[in-house]
Amino acid sequence: MTDEEDRRRQQGERRHPSEKDETAMPRRVRDSGRVRAAIRTELEEVAEDTAERRPGPSEKLGPGPRQKVITLEHIYLAFESPILEDVTFHARQGDTVVVVGESGTGKSTILKLILRLLVPDQGKVTIDGDDITHLKFDDALKVRQKMGMVFQGAALFDSMTVYENVAYPLREHTTLDEDEIEARVREKLQFVDLDPDRVMEQMPAELSGGMKKRVGIARGLANNPEIMLYDEPTSGLDPLTTATITYLIIKLQRELGVTSIVVSHDIRSAFRMASKIALLANRRIGFFGTPEEMTGSDDPYLREFLGGF
Amino acid sequence: MILDTFNDAAKRTVYSLQEFFVLAGKALGFIFVKPFYAADLFQQMDAIGVGSLGIVLLTGFFTGMVLALQSAVQLQTFGATDYIGRLIAGSMIRELGPVLAGLMVAGRVGSGIAAQLGSMRVTEQIDALNTLGTDPIKKLVTPRVLAALIMMPILTIINDFVGILGGSIIAKVYLGKPAALYWKTVFEQILSGGFTLHYIPNDFVQGLSKPFVFGGIISLVACYFGLKTSGGTEGVGVATTRTVVTASILILVVDYFLTQVLLAVFSP
Repeated sequence: MTDEEDRRRQQGERRHPSEKDETAMPRRVRDSGRVRAAIRTELEEVAEDTAERRPGPSEKLGPGPRQKVITLEHIYLAFESPILEDVTFHARQGDTVVVVGESGTGKSTILKLILRLLVPDQGKVTIDGDDITHLKFDDALKVRQKMGMVFQGAALFDSMTVYENVAYPLREHTTLDEDEIEARVREKLQFVDLDPDRVMEQMPAELSGGMKKRVGIARGLANNPEIMLYDEPTSGLDPLTTATITYLIIKLQRELGVTSIVVSHDIRSAFRMASKIALLANRRIGFFGTPEEMTGSDDPYLREFLGGF
Repeated sequence: MILDTFNDAAKRTVYSLQEFFVLAGKALGFIFVKPFYAADLFQQMDAIGVGSLGIVLLTGFFTGMVLALQSAVQLQTFGATDYIGRLIAGSMIRELGPVLAGLMVAGRVGSGIAAQLGSMRVTEQIDALNTLGTDPIKKLVTPRVLAALIMMPILTIINDFVGILGGSIIAKVYLGKPAALYWKTVFEQILSGGFTLHYIPNDFVQGLSKPFVFGGIISLVACYFGLKTSGGTEGVGVATTRTVVTASILILVVDYFLTQVLLAVFSP
């Protein structure tokens, strides 16, 4: 505060509206700053609060160093304009890596690269140490069988019942008989907290958004994949269902030791489920670390990004 | 500027054609590669064949009748009404049967396939198939193409028969020609075109090779536009319209060139 301002305040003088105060922030900006600070504090609390409960190395995996299951190394990808530049990060066995970032920054593209639905212009993607970048189409289909994918809109086959949807990967890639398939379908539906007897014969159109997501997770899990990929698993869901889906992802990691990559812009859920967070900004990975490291960072963009939520 | 626009348009067209022929090659190649999706094939045969039966029966019957009516007026001026069966059989079997069945199926089945695959594309179901380790072309396109290749000739045979039957009713009611005479001239027409491999009438070869080609055109065009759908539900509408327009035009254009070739090869 300047001397002149101090003097005016002491004398009860009011500033003339025509006089500009270059140091003062408009009220809306000040409020917005306060809201952002409050959100950052809340996220820090979430990070600390859930640090112990958050999935670390799964009990299933035991002690000792865990190998890298998914690695992206110096990935460059462009269509009409650059999408990803020098993107590098990895997920170790049993990790849940959440890729966050603003909308339209290419988060879902990363999943397509891991699934080998897209091929990078430069760099390589390895799964279990094998470079999948230059695989032929048929070999890529085999690699995809190691993975389960949960789509933003669940992407259930709408001409099939819930049972047929979950049984689909088993019928395609295993020699299980129908009794074994039914037992597996029931097991997976129960895992995602759905009553098999109630939902198995229902069509996807008869399910709510949250149930569709859960059936999508059950279908992704049917083949007991080593890797689960989630594209915006909590978008468009109410807070309660969001919490249920987040809990399911954590449960999957803890009980089955599955390595997961989650693409999300739901930072609160990300903080609850992530072993590591990868922030995609300006086509690059701007941050890769634990949620605590993220909230503890002094990086201005990171502070701004977290405040934005 | 204009040259650049023309250049870009030409590149896009060539690229689209390349994509179409790659899709066609894969879809046809997968017919002989395991796994065979037999249940999907029978489901599609039912949807394409049985589902189109009503529309094909109606089209064939009324086309045969109107053809007989128009022909009767012309033939009466020459006193050649005895030959009405020949005229109708020739027209229906060689030309009208295949083309009309093709256009009807393009409208009914082509639009359906494009809308279904387009919806699957925009709701990420095609991506889901890919991620579940299934080739969408093998699972979705091959059964539809094979079903269309099998069912189109069958639909055309039904269309031809019903058309000739419709003609016989007009010949009897309008011209007073006995049914025996009408059907005798129909068979005369079929036999007069010569034979392939000593036993198969050339009219049948011509009349059944066309729907086989049309079935391929309809299913492949529909699958191509369906799988290329983008832009949400609006995109599904665009894909459906493009399918019907493109398939219908292709049927008429290909019919002309196919007729030229078939006449050259199978002329009596």
